[in-house]
Amino acid sequence: MKADTSEVTLLLVEDDDIDAASIERSFLKQRIGNSIIRAHDGVEAFELLKGGAVPYPFMVLLDLQMPRMNGLEFLDKLRADPELDDTLVFVLTTSKSDQDIVESYNKKVAGYFVKEEAGINFIDVVNMFESYWRVLHVPTEPRTL
Amino acid sequence: MAEVNKADSLETEERSQLVRRGSLHWVHWLVVFLSIILTVGAWYIASEQVAQKNQEKFQRQAEQVIGLVEERMHLYENALWGGVAFLDANRGKTNYSQWLIYASSLDLDQVYPGINGIGVIYNIKPAQLEDYLAEERKLRPDYGLHPAHKEKEYWPITYIEPSKNNAKAVGLDMAFENNRYSAIQKARDTGKAQITGPIVLVQDAKKTPGFLFYTPFYKEGKKPETIDDRRADIVGVTYAPFIMSKLMLGTLASENRQVRIKISDNETLLYADDDQGANAANPRDDNPLFVKNVGVEMYGRTWLFNIESGLSFREDPSNDQPSWILIGGLVIDSMLLALFVFLTRVNRKALAYADKMTAALRDESQRLIKTNHDLEQFAYVASHDLKAPLNSINQVVSWIEEDCRDLLPEKSKEHIGMVKGRCQRMMTLLKDLLDYSKVGRFEYSSEPVSLRQISNDILVLHGKDQKFSCEVPDITINIPRVPLDIVLRNLISNSIKHHDKENGIIKIIYEERDHGHFIRVEDDGPGIPDDMHSKALEMFQTLQPRDKVEGSGMGLAMVKKIVEHHKGTFQLEENRERGTCYIIFWPFE
Repeated sequence: MKADTSEVTLLLVEDDDIDAASIERSFLKQRIGNSIIRAHDGVEAFELLKGGAVPYPFMVLLDLQMPRMNGLEFLDKLRADPELDDTLVFVLTTSKSDQDIVESYNKKVAGYFVKEEAGINFIDVVNMFESYWRVLHVPTEPRTL
Repeated sequence: MAEVNKADSLETEERSQLVRRGSLHWVHWLVVFLSIILTVGAWYIASEQVAQKNQEKFQRQAEQVIGLVEERMHLYENALWGGVAFLDANRGKTNYSQWLIYASSLDLDQVYPGINGIGVIYNIKPAQLEDYLAEERKLRPDYGLHPAHKEKEYWPITYIEPSKNNAKAVGLDMAFENNRYSAIQKARDTGKAQITGPIVLVQDAKKTPGFLFYTPFYKEGKKPETIDDRRADIVGVTYAPFIMSKLMLGTLASENRQVRIKISDNETLLYADDDQGANAANPRDDNPLFVKNVGVEMYGRTWLFNIESGLSFREDPSNDQPSWILIGGLVIDSMLLALFVFLTRVNRKALAYADKMTAALRDESQRLIKTNHDLEQFAYVASHDLKAPLNSINQVVSWIEEDCRDLLPEKSKEHIGMVKGRCQRMMTLLKDLLDYSKVGRFEYSSEPVSLRQISNDILVLHGKDQKFSCEVPDITINIPRVPLDIVLRNLISNSIKHHDKENGIIKIIYEERDHGHFIRVEDDGPGIPDDMHSKALEMFQTLQPRDKVEGSGMGLAMVKKIVEHHKGTFQLEENRERGTCYIIFWPFE
């Protein structure tokens, strides 16, 4: 059974306003109707998720370098949470460091993208999401514990 | 840091050598020890020589003293035999006035110094006594014999001249006392000159030791052969009294002797040098260096000469020579030791100073290394972190351009283009700066690289392979690929960028010599004036305005940094009419 993936919400965790604006702009440009919810750091993102502000189904596009709680700390917290541990997370960051890449995948991210390789206005990442969602299957309901 | 450590290990060896020179080595001690041995040896030999010399000197002086005494006694004996000859000539007879003349003609004081007088003693039998006394009293009415004794003969001193000092002796009968009597009997029996044992002369007010010297004469000048004949024919003796101290004064006074003597006869002291008499200039040595005892036969007696060296003997300046040798030698030895100690201390000080300087230099170089590292880190972080906001500016500007395409006047669109252009230039600058600061962060090992392949790839990548050609030998060299690629890319790109014509040829010439790669990259462009060469290799230097030829001005600086990082050299060939020629020397690993 294919859920309507146009309903997939993207939780964008990004402290840089221009980067966030770039993605939103590219979504508009590519006429992707999926809604984007913006959090400025790991703390805010976790509060939004726990507070139910992000409707199911959702995915996370996560920056690593952020104030208060960085991306890797956020991942730790997410994977430790029984309700949220299966969340799909993609990383979009400036860091090319091997250490960051390895640690991210150890925390079960679905993909790791580097900002400067992601095309103008991150258009390549946005296109990737568009294609991805077009063929993606997800459960219609969240897990029940 | 690795450089510093290498320098450390090199330094350690030389330093340990200096440390060894900073303390006294066994060679130093050996030299000092040997020179002490030498000094002591020289002292010992000199002492031995001085001792031997002194021994000889003492022996000589002792023999001289004895010889002088013997000689003098012989002289007196002769004088007495002269008296005997005079009496013999007179048939044994003389009288007071004749003897006076004889004695005074001898000139005793001058010719026989030390003699107390010269006289005649007759042997008178009891039967002859009356006649004898009568005869003598003709000229000397108060003449008489003394003292009384029990012997059956008389030996009275009949004449003695000079009479002044000997008045008490006139008439003294030698038979009254054993010493005098036995010696006179011996003289009579042997017919030879004899002396008495030690006696005190009656005429000596000081009662000092003395002796008498007898020479016998017989009837009618005969010299009888047997004792019996001699006893039968004896007439008398000529005699001389001696006060020992006077005799010695006369005998030895003129001698500058360094020995002191004692003369004794049968354990009775005859004479001893005192500090006033004949040997005042030579005080007694309480612990004499040399002592000698010699028994000398002296006219029927044995005189024991006890001779010892005096103080002046010890104080002879030549005796001090060994001491001076020893003192001088030891002073030199200690100066030698002091010199060694001084030298080693100078070495230690120099070492301490060198250590201090080394430590200061090491601190300084570590500080420099750290500063350099910090600068590179700063350049890296700065260029990296500057990129993000620059990207953002570029992005936002392009959004405005997109969103307001229909609203903006042409002028503003132009301005937006300029902003984007500057952003692009800054991006390039930051990228090159980042690359520059990255040089040396990674070490690449040598691998076979085809020079033609790599050059052509660069040209193709540049997109100018249609208009520019590259002449390059088809060889494969062993060199770190990535740094060489950066170097060639920068040089080729420079040549193309600054070319003043549409088409150009870039020539690469390769040679292997001096354990390294020689690579010449030549172009036929406008070239760089000689006086700008050094400037061209500096960072952020461009020879044309950036608006005309886009460039960060980092290219050649980067090439220089890479080549120098590999311990090579990078320079521009001078005196060229046209074109630029870069010369790279890149040593083997």
